Amino acid sequence: MSFQSRLTCLAGCLAGSLALIAGAAFAADSDTAKLTKDPKNWAMQAGNLNNHRYSELKQITSKNAKNLTVAWTFSTGVLRGHEGGPLVIGDTMYLHSPFPNKVFAIALEDQSIRWKYEPKQDPTVIPVMCCDTVNRGLAYANGKIFLQQADTTLVALDAKTGNELWKVKVGDPKLGETTTNTPHVFKDKILTGISGGEFGVRGRITAHDINTGKVLWKAYSTGPDNELIVDPNKTMTWTDGKMAPIGANSSLKTWQGDQWKLGGGTTWGWYSYDPDLNTVYYGTGNPSTWNPRQRPGDNKWSMTIFARDLDTGMAKWVYQMTPHDEWDYDGVNEMILADIKVKGKPRKALVHFDRNGFAYTMDRVSGELLVAEKYDPVVNWATHIDMKSGRPQVVAKYSTDKNGPDVNTKGVCPSALGTKDQQPASYSPRTGLFYVPTNHVCMDYEPFQIEYTAGQPYVGSTLSMYAAPNSHGGMGNFIAWDAGTGKMVWSKPERFSVWSGALSTAGDVVFYGTLEGYLKAVDLNGKELWKFKTPSGIIGNVTTWEYKGKQYVGVLSGIGGWAGIGLAAGLTKGNEGLGAVGGYKDLAKYTELGGVLTVFALPDR
Amino acid sequence: MSTCMKATLSVAMAAAFLVVSSFAPALAQAADAAPYQVSGGNKVDAHTLSGWRTWRALACERCHGAAQEGMVGPSLVNSLKVLSKDQFKDTVLKGRIDKGMPNFDGSKMVVDNIDNLYAYLKGRSDGAIQPGRLQEMDK
Repeated sequence: MSFQSRLTCLAGCLAGSLALIAGAAFAADSDTAKLTKDPKNWAMQAGNLNNHRYSELKQITSKNAKNLTVAWTFSTGVLRGHEGGPLVIGDTMYLHSPFPNKVFAIALEDQSIRWKYEPKQDPTVIPVMCCDTVNRGLAYANGKIFLQQADTTLVALDAKTGNELWKVKVGDPKLGETTTNTPHVFKDKILTGISGGEFGVRGRITAHDINTGKVLWKAYSTGPDNELIVDPNKTMTWTDGKMAPIGANSSLKTWQGDQWKLGGGTTWGWYSYDPDLNTVYYGTGNPSTWNPRQRPGDNKWSMTIFARDLDTGMAKWVYQMTPHDEWDYDGVNEMILADIKVKGKPRKALVHFDRNGFAYTMDRVSGELLVAEKYDPVVNWATHIDMKSGRPQVVAKYSTDKNGPDVNTKGVCPSALGTKDQQPASYSPRTGLFYVPTNHVCMDYEPFQIEYTAGQPYVGSTLSMYAAPNSHGGMGNFIAWDAGTGKMVWSKPERFSVWSGALSTAGDVVFYGTLEGYLKAVDLNGKELWKFKTPSGIIGNVTTWEYKGKQYVGVLSGIGGWAGIGLAAGLTKGNEGLGAVGGYKDLAKYTELGGVLTVFALPDR
Repeated sequence: MSTCMKATLSVAMAAAFLVVSSFAPALAQAADAAPYQVSGGNKVDAHTLSGWRTWRALACERCHGAAQEGMVGPSLVNSLKVLSKDQFKDTVLKGRIDKGMPNFDGSKMVVDNIDNLYAYLKGRSDGAIQPGRLQEMDK
């Protein structure tokens, strides 16, 4: 927040002693939001607080992108899946790797390594992360680098030296709890989540003091009201076409017995923050076991968008996208905050491309449901979202609960990978459109009875996944979406799932990576302008920055993640025997493991 | 996991190994006979069926692939051609932590079904059992 707007806010919205309190709060603010306002930096994983993944830089344009060349490369020395991307602040880049979660501070001047940090972690976390040891990147605030290690340790490092400043553990890997998310710095706090939805963990989000790591609040996704941090009379949700209070025991009464204790609702996605509303937004994951018969009820508040007050954690509103999940449609995907016209009316909107194949446009102030439309026409598990109840209208033959355990429900679209997984979309304020990396994959899903053992997988379903039938044959699309109308603007087919986070820029270029390993630049109509084959498949997110007057674009390659793994599950369709050419075998024709950052720029003239 | 539980588990594990070692000669003799019965590639005896159910419940395909041909973890179709039954049990129960293979001695289902799991995977490795869903053969 600039000094100017701080004054305006103090004068305009506050008075007397309130202003003093607010002033104190502002004084403790981190510099992160301010750093993101300078497009030379890339100071948060998403580029800004709103999850836009958009840059004002415009040296690289749709006219000259075809001339992009490699400026430099950097190997992380780690195999397996490389998600997330680098941060750039001033003359330094901060780069992470998957497990063992190395951190490098790289001088942009000569690409020398200023310092390197490698935590000592118990290797028993590797199998609990099975099957990939991804990490979605670092956070920065006030001269500190924050790393959320695989073993659930959140650590603050001195950005100048790499020395440890503080550490705090937010989970227990022996219970199947691990962490893969980036930590998020909002105002004076750092927020982090938990992974382990396939191990019967109980999801929550914690807010920490950036200076000490002290837990300031902790809000669960399932359980009693006080642990959810909700007010039964004031926390609102979309009910019968309007907002209404959630009432008492909103979570407990949607679970059988104490199943909420193994209730999932993990929080490994990309959070966002609106400073004017002082509200943080994030989504929760699947309700643990994938056998829906074992957990009757709506399983609240799994699969839910949460809007919480940053200072207290109090939930302002919630919206559950997939009540009683039957397909593993986690709700963790990024919440993009955009001020757009929705059905002709200006709105402070929240836009969310859910795993379940519907793109939701909500009023982020009130929590009202405004638009919910399929962003891949093959989505078939529900006909539509009933706009009055806010609930999906499930098609009976695709209901794995109705069909029951030990019955193979075939041809469900999307697959458990979702029409989009964590790979984040980009929003361009210039066009008002969203550029979305998507999966075009369907599945057969056979649930079965499963027992819970602490620290052991708690899945209970056999899946096979394959490219959407009767379509273009590929397993992905890169699309442009109008969230104000809920309509697709264009769709560019891809051979594989697009598992790389997109970037749009003021140069009217949109970038994304592919699983074969291409970094691609397209124009605002989706026309391919340029591509380059990086050393491995790309599941990292594209970022851009400026150093000494030059714009750079960088991306991590390093195949893995659920894309690599998930496609592998499509290798054979068990019941039909071997011989089908599956997605993964095909992918092996294009790429191998290996983590490398590749940095591009226009050639010197 | 509490220390108490750990102690209980290690006792259980020791017991499991005692059973294994005391019956080792008998197992060695029986090694020539296939540890599974199968007809038509997908109908198996009750023990082997329990082995497949154990494979499925512990989500082994997440690393070893739906057809046991390997992904992040190695191909078990190959491994079961090389590993002895004792080596197999040791690997599954104690894990190969540094390589990412968890120890499954904490799972009652695995401990109870380790022989059945071996039978199933041996059948897969021999090419006698098809990948995917199985059913019990007619008695």
